[in-house]
Amino acid sequence: MTRTLTLLSAAAIVALSGAAQAETETSQLTVTLTGLNPQTGSVMVGVYAGEDDFENGGGIAGATVEVSGTEATVTIEGLTPGAYGLKMYHDVNGNGEMDTNPFGMPTEPYAFSNNAKGRFGPAKWDKAQFELAAGDNTHAIDFAS
Amino acid sequence: MDVSRRTFLAGAGATAGLLTVPSAFASPDMPAWQAGWANAPVAGFDPAPMRLITGRLPDDFRGSLYRNGPAWFRYGDEHIGHWFDGDGMVQRIAFEDGKAIHTGRFHQTEKHRAEQAAGRFLAAGFGTAGDPDFPVMSVDDVNAANTAILAANGEIYALWEAGSAIQFDPVSLATMGPKHWSDDLKGMPFLAHPKIEPSGRIWNIANSGQVLGIYDIAPGGKVDRFEIVDIGKTAYIHDWAMSERHLIILVQPWIQTRNLPPFVNSLEWRPEDGLQLLIIDKADLSSRRWVDAPAKAFFHTGTSWEEADGTLHIDACLYDEPILGEGGATGLMAGHFDPVADHHSGYLSRITVSPDGKTRIEQTGAEGEFPSVHPGFMGHNCRYTAVVGGHAPNRPIATTVTVFDWQTGKSDAFNFGPARMVEEHLIVPKPGRSAEGDAWVVGTVLNIRTGCSEVHIFEARDIASGPVASYSAAYSWPLGFHGAFVSS
Repeated sequence: MTRTLTLLSAAAIVALSGAAQAETETSQLTVTLTGLNPQTGSVMVGVYAGEDDFENGGGIAGATVEVSGTEATVTIEGLTPGAYGLKMYHDVNGNGEMDTNPFGMPTEPYAFSNNAKGRFGPAKWDKAQFELAAGDNTHAIDFAS
Repeated sequence: MDVSRRTFLAGAGATAGLLTVPSAFASPDMPAWQAGWANAPVAGFDPAPMRLITGRLPDDFRGSLYRNGPAWFRYGDEHIGHWFDGDGMVQRIAFEDGKAIHTGRFHQTEKHRAEQAAGRFLAAGFGTAGDPDFPVMSVDDVNAANTAILAANGEIYALWEAGSAIQFDPVSLATMGPKHWSDDLKGMPFLAHPKIEPSGRIWNIANSGQVLGIYDIAPGGKVDRFEIVDIGKTAYIHDWAMSERHLIILVQPWIQTRNLPPFVNSLEWRPEDGLQLLIIDKADLSSRRWVDAPAKAFFHTGTSWEEADGTLHIDACLYDEPILGEGGATGLMAGHFDPVADHHSGYLSRITVSPDGKTRIEQTGAEGEFPSVHPGFMGHNCRYTAVVGGHAPNRPIATTVTVFDWQTGKSDAFNFGPARMVEEHLIVPKPGRSAEGDAWVVGTVLNIRTGCSEVHIFEARDIASGPVASYSAAYSWPLGFHGAFVSS
């Protein structure tokens, strides 16, 4: 029983960032991850642009970072400044999927931007959204929070 | 049989003023019975000897009675929305060398820790709406761990309806965390009423909406099978039944009509639907059949067993309509008692399903709840079922312990009288004895005359003569739901 977090392909990300660069300055997002346990597998990060994409869409960018300690850092480049949300999960067993139990509840750690929490479901946009400025941005996620 | 034993009660009452300390947490303006729903000390109860008040502990009575129940009901003037939502606390009474030692500890669940830190109720529950901003990332974030105890494979767990079993240390009672029966079943609900075969095999249910998961756990703890069953409606499922060859899901017509907390407010009684029984073959979980019975409400079953011709019997305490619905016992927590609304009568009953699928319900004269059978006979034809029942005019909760004899149709009962609020009593086998009747009946009461909790031990075949041994604590703890006895 698994559910796959939908991420855009690398090709699509390059295409989107290329289009953005042509019009305006771009943003770079560095996500720092702490509280990773166990120290195996990888964290899959999905980037969502705007409320509709976060609540219903498939995201506009994605990245993966290997986990070898309690902390990790991942950088996503070529984003357009604006309002974003992040969804991520710790793929502890490295099978490329967010494992769930038979009732559909995740059995691997997961998190949202702003360390927002859901209530019997994913966090809502109003709790998870943050603004990305032009240039370098950092966002801290604590999986142990 | 109504046999209040004046000498026994008078003796216990006379010494009470000298030897007992009133519960520190019972408000002086509350009726004495309200101690059953008073907050327990947040640090719990350190080990303390209980005082022998009558009889003598049988030499071979050794082990621990563990009981679970809600023990936190209010922050300031705010009461919890339903009795079922109070944070769970385990009470342990260890019997050794003629002594009875009581210890009590809150389960350190996410809910308990978060609410104690905030000083208010946060989690949604059976009858509590909860704070919409309280995050719920997993069912265990709202797990109250307050309903029952499972002792298996040398481990012990606090059970709730809709979350994981919470393991705790059998001696210190320290919380060890949620039990994951296997990696892929992490965070699955584990109902408060697992059924244990005499072999040690555990069967249980996970329930979410109209979907059930069936656990088949081998002796030793390995999950042999986990299978999903869609029952087509979301009913209130607190307990179920198991015979030697079948699992029986009793779908009472108390149906969830919308999906918003609190759960109880969404339940609607639809007697026209009747009581539907899903009978599942243990050997082949895909082999299932439905049978219909007249509408009844229930919380608890006893044993279930089949005859050679396939006739199936299911013992349960049945009500004509649901009790403890919306607002359940919130008045009691605030000290309000209504002798009409707060007294409910269920009767120990037998549902019989003939091989042709016809059902009939036979109601015994044994009024009561919390049915208990000899664990060595679970899933088989039990001669004896213990229940607690009876009403006192001026306070809630049972007065009487009854052992019903299915062979003779007679009840063997002891009435503790109006001063004692009687909790679940368990049938506990005598060590080295295999006959069903070679057992004790063990349970706790809250004595509202002394303000102290007590434990009583009866001979299973002679309840009417009263307890063979009784101990009193020097204080009270809140009323609980279910327990387990672990022999040593």
